[in-house]
Amino acid sequence: MRQYFPLCIFLALVVLIQLVTQITETAFYLTQLTMSAYYSLLIIGLCTIMGYAGQISLGHAGFFAIGGYLSAGLTTHNLQPFADTGITSLLDKAGLLVSSKDLYGDTLLTVHPWIACIVAISTAVIIALVLGGPVLKLKGHYLAMATLGFGIIIFRIAMATPYFGEADGLSGVPSFTLLPGITVSGDFGARIINYYIAWGTVLIGMLLLINLVNSRMGRALSALHGSEEAAQAMGVNTARAKLLTFVLSAAYAALAGVLLTHYNGSIGPGEAGVMKSVRYVAIVAIGGMAHLWGALIIGTLLNFMSMRGLFGSYDDAVFGIILILIMLFAPQGLLRLHIWKHIQKIKPKKHGTA
Amino acid sequence: MKKLFALSLSVLTLWAVSLFFVAPDDAQADEIKIGAIIAETGGAAFLGIPEARTLRMLTDEVNARGGVAGNTIKLIIKDSGGDPAKAVSFAKQLIEEEKVFAIIGPSTSGETMAIKDICDKNKTLLVSCASTKAIVDPVAKHVFKTPQNDSLAVEMIYLEMQKKGISKIAVAVGGTGFGKMGGKFLNEMAPQFGITVLENEVYDPKSTDLSSLVTKFMANKEVEAVVNWSIVPAQAILAKNMRQAGWDVPLFLSHGFGNIKYVELGGAALEGVFFPAGRLLVADSLPESHPQKAVLVKYTTDYQAMFNNEPVSTFGGHAYDAFKILCKGIETVGKADTAMVIDAIENMTFVGTGGIFTLTPTDHSGLKLEAFEMLTVKDGKFALAN
Repeated sequence: MRQYFPLCIFLALVVLIQLVTQITETAFYLTQLTMSAYYSLLIIGLCTIMGYAGQISLGHAGFFAIGGYLSAGLTTHNLQPFADTGITSLLDKAGLLVSSKDLYGDTLLTVHPWIACIVAISTAVIIALVLGGPVLKLKGHYLAMATLGFGIIIFRIAMATPYFGEADGLSGVPSFTLLPGITVSGDFGARIINYYIAWGTVLIGMLLLINLVNSRMGRALSALHGSEEAAQAMGVNTARAKLLTFVLSAAYAALAGVLLTHYNGSIGPGEAGVMKSVRYVAIVAIGGMAHLWGALIIGTLLNFMSMRGLFGSYDDAVFGIILILIMLFAPQGLLRLHIWKHIQKIKPKKHGTA
Repeated sequence: MKKLFALSLSVLTLWAVSLFFVAPDDAQADEIKIGAIIAETGGAAFLGIPEARTLRMLTDEVNARGGVAGNTIKLIIKDSGGDPAKAVSFAKQLIEEEKVFAIIGPSTSGETMAIKDICDKNKTLLVSCASTKAIVDPVAKHVFKTPQNDSLAVEMIYLEMQKKGISKIAVAVGGTGFGKMGGKFLNEMAPQFGITVLENEVYDPKSTDLSSLVTKFMANKEVEAVVNWSIVPAQAILAKNMRQAGWDVPLFLSHGFGNIKYVELGGAALEGVFFPAGRLLVADSLPESHPQKAVLVKYTTDYQAMFNNEPVSTFGGHAYDAFKILCKGIETVGKADTAMVIDAIENMTFVGTGGIFTLTPTDHSGLKLEAFEMLTVKDGKFALAN
């Protein structure tokens, strides 16, 4: 039961921040907090595969983009001109399409966001399965390079496909009604509910991952992280464990992509870029690799500051510098610095000399 | 674990508390806030840097003269790095927290499309510096743009070809968003002008040699002219390779060639090429009587005096036009009232760097074919072709 204690505090904190913004009339902070929540969802998934299973992935922005782009593409491209063709009318009859009017009064016939979401996440899962099989046999730099290559491929596809808007990306993505009354949308009026949707999703995500790392599977992953041969000798099916974690983290990334794209109403090829992947890896490292809470806190903090434009023109530079500093002075992560211990170590010495 | 958690908790609480000490200050009564979302860094920085410089220069200039209709302008520039997600975040920040009167930018079409609906829904003026037609088609009440439509540049090239009796062409485009959009228009519009596109090629924007592409085009003996539509330095290389191969068919470039550094890169090979562009690049050679002459010369002189003789680019010009249209709108009305200013802008004729804008309720771009001039390169400098 002890491992769920932080979850309760976390929930209380989420509610507290919302209440404080309400009282101080600074509710606009929730916009960027919601955006960072979705990035954090990807980051805790990445933390599992990197920190616990010890497999580096520089391609997670790719999975995020698969989720975001597929969902955006399916829910924005108007099927009205094809309304009479066989497949479209079949989908329409099955209730998979929705008809709506855009801001300028044109009728749109698009795929229902729920269907788009399911298609997007399943595609990411299938790609992760196909990719993970051979790629996870690689180790160290080779794995990093292979996943990096995957990220670049997704970026190039997004840049070169007219369906995905090429360099301009997709805009005009509609809001996503999860349940009646609960809608993912970027309207100022729907901000509080969206803040809770986002952080609720993260909370559920955390709960699942905490259970995973504390289970038999989690112990197998830790063993694998330490020494793959030793884990194998102990009877751990390392290939299966690695693949499952990889697929799970890809699904988290894709879900984050879907939700953030509906929240922002748009997505651009930059989301699939290498710099984004590097940024995610940096955040996991700063949080302390095998440390879900660290990754979550640092991820939220840094993404929030970046989204508010606090780093100005030095955005990418800040992340780079932080990564270098962390690797030099706190390779175990910022939250494992044990500042108190250091201070306590210093104290008695002072007493001794006095 | 406990200590760790206590530490993380205190970090979070500290941060939450610190949020409320940086709440934005209230706007003064005689101050108009104008936000700008500009890609000062990242892949689109070549657009964003001259835009941001121009905006800063103009704000200082206007405020030194006592502001617009008695109000000083407060400019808030946000660097988006060309990322639509950030543009969305910044647009919401500017609209809601800073309560800006208008937003200038974003520099790229993707970012502009991402915030078009947000600005329109929240009744905040947006004057974009990006060119895609979709920004103003369909027309959103609060959204305007200053760059010319790409299709106008294509029209300009095809009209010139008709004059020269050219009907069979080869098209090479740089592999960027700008290049691909141009390629699309070139192919779609060719039949209207009785022109046949015989060859289509896309080249890597980072190419250092394009002789294989030239050889392929040369092999088709029917090609009478080449159109090279690109915004990257590699476009100068194509011209070089063509002349090296001894092929002297006319070469047409796009308005993306409007950067004097590209001329230096291509050297003698670029003498005599044709490309459509706004008049900013040839401000000096315009006759005194031309209505744009005074505006263009003043902008060029001011910009170069301020920034170490850095040549002006049409991109900075787009920001200049956006800023001046807003100021003119506010001056006409006498105060910063969104609905009234939009009304004023929709009935405005404005002489800017991009051309003479005739804005109407149905045309939020306002530039016609006359905005372009056919230019060429003469003795290493831009010059009027005709």
